[in-house]
Amino acid sequence: MNVAIKPEPSGGQAAARRHFSDINVMVAGQGGDGSLTIASLLSALFAHRGFHLYSTSNIASRIKGGHAAAYLRASVKPSGCMGDVIDLLVAFDDEAVEIAAPAMAPDGIVVFDSSKGPPPTGVLADTIRVFEIPIGRLAVRDLRRDLLKNCIGFGVVTRILGIDDKDAEGSLRHRFRRIPEAAMETNIDAFRLGLANADENGLPAGDSPWTVDEGGREEHLMISGNEAFSFGFLVAGGRFYAGYPITPATEILTWLERRLPQFGGIAMQAEDELSAINLAIGAAMTGVRAMAGSSGPGFVLMQEGVSQLGSAEIPLVVVDCQRAGPSTGMPTKVEQNDIGTMISGDYPRVVLAPADQGDCFEMSIFATNLAQRIQGPVIAALDRALSQDSTTVKPFDLSGVELDTGKRLTPDEIAGLKEYRRYLITDDGVSPWAVPGTPGGENLVTGNERNEWGLVSAEPKNRKRMVEKRARKIESVRGDLPKGKRWGDADAAIGLLGFGTVGAVMERAAERLAKAGVEVQILQPRTLWPVLDETVEFIRARRRVYVIEHNAIGQLAHLVSGGGAPKERMVSILKFDGTPFRAVDLVDFILEQEASL
Amino acid sequence: MTKTYTPAEPIWCAGCGDFGVQGAIEGAIAQLAIPKHDIIIMAGIGCSGTLQNNVGTYGYHALHGRVLPTSTGVAYANPELTVIAVGGDGDAFAIGAGHFIHTVKRNPNFVYIVMNNSVYGLTKGQDSPTMDAGAAHGIDATRLALSIPGASFIARGFSRWSRQLQELTVAAMEHVRAGRGFAFLEVLSPCVTYHDTYVTWEGMLENLDDDPTYDPTDLAAAFARGVALEAQGRMPAGVIFRSDGGAGRKIPPAMALQDIDPARHIDRYNDIMSSYAV
Repeated sequence: MNVAIKPEPSGGQAAARRHFSDINVMVAGQGGDGSLTIASLLSALFAHRGFHLYSTSNIASRIKGGHAAAYLRASVKPSGCMGDVIDLLVAFDDEAVEIAAPAMAPDGIVVFDSSKGPPPTGVLADTIRVFEIPIGRLAVRDLRRDLLKNCIGFGVVTRILGIDDKDAEGSLRHRFRRIPEAAMETNIDAFRLGLANADENGLPAGDSPWTVDEGGREEHLMISGNEAFSFGFLVAGGRFYAGYPITPATEILTWLERRLPQFGGIAMQAEDELSAINLAIGAAMTGVRAMAGSSGPGFVLMQEGVSQLGSAEIPLVVVDCQRAGPSTGMPTKVEQNDIGTMISGDYPRVVLAPADQGDCFEMSIFATNLAQRIQGPVIAALDRALSQDSTTVKPFDLSGVELDTGKRLTPDEIAGLKEYRRYLITDDGVSPWAVPGTPGGENLVTGNERNEWGLVSAEPKNRKRMVEKRARKIESVRGDLPKGKRWGDADAAIGLLGFGTVGAVMERAAERLAKAGVEVQILQPRTLWPVLDETVEFIRARRRVYVIEHNAIGQLAHLVSGGGAPKERMVSILKFDGTPFRAVDLVDFILEQEASL
Repeated sequence: MTKTYTPAEPIWCAGCGDFGVQGAIEGAIAQLAIPKHDIIIMAGIGCSGTLQNNVGTYGYHALHGRVLPTSTGVAYANPELTVIAVGGDGDAFAIGAGHFIHTVKRNPNFVYIVMNNSVYGLTKGQDSPTMDAGAAHGIDATRLALSIPGASFIARGFSRWSRQLQELTVAAMEHVRAGRGFAFLEVLSPCVTYHDTYVTWEGMLENLDDDPTYDPTDLAAAFARGVALEAQGRMPAGVIFRSDGGAGRKIPPAMALQDIDPARHIDRYNDIMSSYAV
């Protein structure tokens, strides 16, 4: 087998006028100057047209300046990730062109802000059309405001896409519907200035180089993983959160700081992650549903606290929005490199991995309930892309949400007991739980080994029984832990395995592998720990499984082989350069491998 | 009556200052007639971090250095509880020193009793940050607390002065139960095994509670007195500073007792969801 797959021009046809049902747009320039708003205006435009959306950004870890890029994929079918190539680039400086050039579709279009001169030569392929428009100069000269570059640029871009001027203006008005009337009119003026300059530069109304489809998608939510996870926590009755600002987990803190007080709860910005996890532990001990969150470096600082949850048997959700590490690493870049940390230490815990932004909502609810059931730590493994990138998802079913309080005792139940032992040995390992303030429930909670009464004990027999009791808690819920998402041919001899943000990329790759004659089945585990039988069976049942992950040592592969999966069947595909996998990366690698075997 | 755990016997050496602290806490609980189920004793790590086992209330054994954030979490999540945090000077001013500053600043409603003996007893006598070493004085945590905006109750007791110690404990608990905020009570609690300072410390203390001219609501005076005493090789005891700045704060009901049934909030949840609709 020897099939060469070139990056697919996303959904377009190589006709004189390309028609798009799937388009990738990049807007890039210096960060903080507002030019990137064009991406969000286009997002609103495509949303209005019924497209599915995926948006991401590539920013430097600084407040203002540095090169910044916003990306948008708009497609009639859901995508869940960016495409292989950039079809349309809006570039505000030379650097934007240089960064985008290798990823540009051969028949792509560039809108270049020529205020400071023409675009760099010899960078872009000759087949790419470039429209040079002095967007910045127009904004300053005609409107006296540099910030209005965004609406001028938006006007030009709508002409490239063949959007009716009225529709484009309507979309702009809708996007800005909350701003004052005068500001609205200024923005509309800028938009019209963009149209006028499009007229003068070969982009007249009604004769566009490209056209785009109508989507027909039903109403969806455009939401990021951090937002969906925070929302799920709230709906699951979560009322206490603690964290320390850290990219890419900060949005959870700010979301909950805004919302929890409206529901009688608190989100606390702690002095460090040691404090954050212990604040959350304190709140959780009182019976409130609580969560702490961070990313790699902060998550490591929380580890002693997580072990305390496991030992002292306190329910808490800990969310880790992974980023490129180790150490400070690359704060704004994607990676999935904390799996080793998440499963380290000899105590029971569950590690969940939401499959996509929508699943973050479901899994947050599941995690919050599960923590109550197992009275211990439930870790949620997100990653930078899943956390911060927004995509269109089906609206959440709020009416079906149920709360599970596990073995929490009511005051009446305690009053009816002859005696109460906090760490009572039980068949399922879960001890009935009396929270402070309840008469008759007085107890001692400790991370020391202790007897059933909570009194410290290092007696060997007691120690063994207590370790086994705690371990049984995980076995008692194993059957209820979230199964993975599967796609593709169930009988395929080749498998793809990856979690979190890798899922959608695997799915896009599988479609193209099938076209090239390689049928695969995908498993995207949603429970990383304990390793579920389905994961081990998935690998055992296949000739070869490509384990696809964003880290340098193949942590997922190590995890599942430790869980019993045969190592020799696994081939790792690793990416740790800070950029997300593209479907083409997987397709090329797998076809080459399969051809050589 | 539901039978619960039988309080443990203290593990401390005969003559340990911590007996005096436990006695003061038990005396204060009895004096204020607070039911034991409404109290949680949050303990640090070390000899002092076993006190919670001995009293019969709810108890929690925190991670080393983390008793303050954990207690803050408890106090915020269930303001109806009387939260008494206890621990040693290593816990408070070495491994947990960062939290001390931020807890004084936040002023949450709980009592914090630090049993200061200037050594790590359980690990056999290493110096703690409050130990005088050569020319350098140990950290005086009462003055550290005075320097932090938000401080509302700062006192020092001596484990041998049991009557005053119980009064100070009662005052700290009343401060907290009135919603005025964080009550910091440092107790000089000598380690008879590694650093027996009963006689030295007693000689160094000036009891401000016996001084009718001393005004504990005057921050500048409190600071000046501490500095002046230190220059003489002495230190203050009693209520060093108190402020009613936090008085009258609304104490919300316990979060854990709130109705979190999703059906009750579904309209507001729907509003949030619709803000993401496209």
